Amino acid sequence: MFYLTQMLGKPVVDAAGEIIGEISDIAIATGEVFPRVTSLAFLGPEKTPFMLSWRKFVATLGEDRIELNAERSALRFSYLQPDEVLLARDLLNKQIVDTQGMKVVRVNDLKLSESRNQLRLLGAEVGLRGILRGIHPVVERGVASVLKLFGRELNENLIAWNYMDLLDRDLSHVRLSITHKRLHELHPADVADVLEQLGPSQRARVFEHLDNAQAALTVAELEDEFQADLIDDLGDQRASDILEEMDPDDAADIIGDLSYDKAEALLRLMGVNEARTIRSLLGYREKTAGGIMTPEVTTVTEDMSVQEVINHLRENASEREGIYYIYVLDTDGSLEGVISLRDLVIAEPHTLVEELVSREVTTVGPDDDQELVAEMMSKYDLLALPVVDEAGKLLGIVTVDDALEVLEEESAEDLAIATGATREHGPLAGLWWWLVRRHAWLLVWGIAFLAVMGIRTPLLGAATPAADAPRVVGMMLAVWALMLLPLLLRTAEDLSSRTLAELIEDEDEDERIPLGRRLLREGGIGLASAVLSGLVAFGFSFLIIGELHPYTTPFVIATALATLLTVLLGGVLGHVALRRSAQEKPVSGAGLALAAMVMGTVMYLVLAYAVGHVWAAGSIASGG
Amino acid sequence: MTPAPDKKKRLPLFAILAVIGPGIISASAGNDAGGISTYSEAGARYGYSMLWMMLAMTPAFAIVQEMAGRMGAVTGKGFSALIRERFGVRLTFGAMLMLLGSTAATTVAEFAGIAAAMELFGVSRFISVPLAALVVWILVVRGSFQRVEKAFLALSSVFIAYVVAVFLAQPDWAEVGRAFVVPQIVPDRGFVALAIGLTGTTIAPWMQFLLQSNIVDKGTTVREWALARWDVIIGAIAANLIACAIIITTGTVLYPAGIEIAGAEDAARALAPLAGPYAEMLFSIGLLSASLLAAAVLPLTSAYAICEAFGWESGLDRNWSEAPVFNGLYTFVIVASAAIILLPGLNLIAIMLVSQVVNGILLPFLLIFMMVIVNDRSIMGRHTNSRLNNVLAWSTIVIVIALTVILMGMTVLGIG
Repeated sequence: MFYLTQMLGKPVVDAAGEIIGEISDIAIATGEVFPRVTSLAFLGPEKTPFMLSWRKFVATLGEDRIELNAERSALRFSYLQPDEVLLARDLLNKQIVDTQGMKVVRVNDLKLSESRNQLRLLGAEVGLRGILRGIHPVVERGVASVLKLFGRELNENLIAWNYMDLLDRDLSHVRLSITHKRLHELHPADVADVLEQLGPSQRARVFEHLDNAQAALTVAELEDEFQADLIDDLGDQRASDILEEMDPDDAADIIGDLSYDKAEALLRLMGVNEARTIRSLLGYREKTAGGIMTPEVTTVTEDMSVQEVINHLRENASEREGIYYIYVLDTDGSLEGVISLRDLVIAEPHTLVEELVSREVTTVGPDDDQELVAEMMSKYDLLALPVVDEAGKLLGIVTVDDALEVLEEESAEDLAIATGATREHGPLAGLWWWLVRRHAWLLVWGIAFLAVMGIRTPLLGAATPAADAPRVVGMMLAVWALMLLPLLLRTAEDLSSRTLAELIEDEDEDERIPLGRRLLREGGIGLASAVLSGLVAFGFSFLIIGELHPYTTPFVIATALATLLTVLLGGVLGHVALRRSAQEKPVSGAGLALAAMVMGTVMYLVLAYAVGHVWAAGSIASGG
Repeated sequence: MTPAPDKKKRLPLFAILAVIGPGIISASAGNDAGGISTYSEAGARYGYSMLWMMLAMTPAFAIVQEMAGRMGAVTGKGFSALIRERFGVRLTFGAMLMLLGSTAATTVAEFAGIAAAMELFGVSRFISVPLAALVVWILVVRGSFQRVEKAFLALSSVFIAYVVAVFLAQPDWAEVGRAFVVPQIVPDRGFVALAIGLTGTTIAPWMQFLLQSNIVDKGTTVREWALARWDVIIGAIAANLIACAIIITTGTVLYPAGIEIAGAEDAARALAPLAGPYAEMLFSIGLLSASLLAAAVLPLTSAYAICEAFGWESGLDRNWSEAPVFNGLYTFVIVASAAIILLPGLNLIAIMLVSQVVNGILLPFLLIFMMVIVNDRSIMGRHTNSRLNNVLAWSTIVIVIALTVILMGMTVLGIG
């Protein structure tokens, strides 16, 4: 076993035992799975670089030196061949793509092995062990033995040559081993995963290697935020070629995200038909059936025979997204019925379409919500769903892959509303937000506490005013209110989670309760809560403060009033949230709860102070 | 799905705006808690006598930032990736330790800034610091940082108030002018340490990592660089202009009165000619937002750079099991820095100053890495440094190292 980092810098000794330089690099031939080392590069005196054929001149490779089989004068120097790769220059410390693990990694070391007098590259070490060895072999051994104490191994993480694709050096003209997996030979979804891990300039470089068809498939698989960026960075001609290759619905999505100039430029470069298709799709709103449908549909007429339909499919449908259903149109393009591929295959060739067609077709309109579309497809187990306008004219179909994407998107959205976290931020972030949300009332309480205590001193002033001065009483009630504040906060929180449940569950606008009725309903709950909290307030001031305190009555009034108002306000907030959600605007559950809590708190504290102030002023006026 | 509104004619101005940003952002992120305190201290303690250093440092700063940006535009790689590819694991490890040290020390200073600002509002540091750490961490984890970044940036620009305050303070302009041109040296340890700190805060090492990765993320190409470099240079000059204003203001208001900066309230007093009784509030709002901004940026910068160097997965969209080192690193920097501030009996201003001295000491070593890379033809092609760039950058390196050696010598020998 040899490691490149340990070999670099070791002396090169000729047959006479004279040191003629130190190892600077090693070249491999690229044709095999475990490539042979072909050349030795070393720095001679005054840092002059030399290269030697490994096979001809290297006698032995030792731990601390490399010995040649000829004297210095007999050496014949060679040059780097185009199909050779220099390990230190091209691989060590560089980023490569691990085409098996579909990851971008950095090469920490290269492991070589000698067998039958032939030094071969085993693979690139990309794990922690290589880093530790690179810092110093002593560190590597130290960490390894410490881990051993805990019964753990410091494993090597090797990537074999045939699973590497280099990012910095272009090897496209070099003959690689037959089994070599290059990045652009992977499944487009995997290529997309890797591209997302790269920086913009490297992404562009990898992209150059993909032909237009591969590029189109890959772009379709990229996350939305990368798609427009990538297309934006490409030259207009290539970008438009790629978009032309893509399914028109995907292409329209991307073009919709580009600037007007760029979009127009690309559309102008496309074929007339493709451009027209995409333009027509751009007219539909996002998140509707029209937005996700593809206009490329296989259609036939009733008077065709099965054989004719199959011939028609062979000619026209080779690049269509879904040919599992064949739609039957009448003469002016209205949808008459559908036949499945299955019916077609089973039927005799001379049967007429008329006899096979099923006229009960489930359809949607172009403005229907995409979630509805996905739900219908799942309910009726469809692979595609036709989109028709009011006149019954077939506009396009939504295929099952687009519907799956919709379901994924919508469930992520619901999750985001409920937890306040998006799925991409991982389970920990979700958990974290759940915790924060659960205990937000504590935070609001704490801040309210600080705020009241902060105002108290400046408000009351340094000189001690009379104990029943209005502002003293107001302040006292506000402090009492602080004690009971958690009650109100929990009410507000409860309210918002009810709204939330409504938000996620029923999306149907017809079932939505109008504001008036909602307030009436909430009012009932509010009144009950108000009476309850009034009682608690009464008990609080009676039991905790001592005998029946003279200001028990205003405190009870303030508490009950604040509770009632909070509940009503929560109702209004909930209504607003539902309206926003109906307009497809983002709604945050955490934000809703927080707003209800903050408003309730402010109301309670202000009310307590105000009622106390008024009450005391009134009793002073009447008493004295 | 409707295309963006028409913007058919692309004036050169728009072309400039399209590439503007990274330079100005990274330079103003440099006017953070450490920066404000160092500049204030320089003015309060030594009057105008450090101004000449600012004049000398402005071109150096602009040149260093320009080099970092150029490296990003030419290679499309971050600074740490270039260090790794050029120098190998061992030296990279050293460089990353230095970067971590620089960012951690500065993050400590940011939390000190937060604590000091909130103490002006009467909030104990035992409440404000843990709360701020939590807020920063959540902002970073949720990825909502980009949204609030602009708000912090806008708020921290209240330090532009110093530029107005300078004129209201009515300094002796002739003397100020002389101080800019005639170098003055006070032979004591405090002066040397402050000089190192001044360099460290003006040309902070982490800023180069931040700027370069911003340029790379924006996908700025070599061709766009011709315009983008002006963003970087103007940002550097603007940041130093504010720094000079702080020194002149404190030098005019605090120095003659003999006020030593023992706490943030003393530093705030320099704004009194402008804001009168509201000086403290103005100062603390600026300090708070600048500190929060930097406290979120710094741990992220080091986590990104270190992961880039060692090939570990990074990115805010990766969770703990996908990117353990990345998440662990920035969480560690935030938590550890906040914890240090909570140690009892700490002088916050002193902490901010010391952190900048640490930056100053580490700066030349990271600059050496930069100089080797930026002059390597196999990496930079024909975009290597001009001779003027090299002379200025190398003199900065030599001077800062010399200052560090002098400081150490004075400390060991007990001079000053």
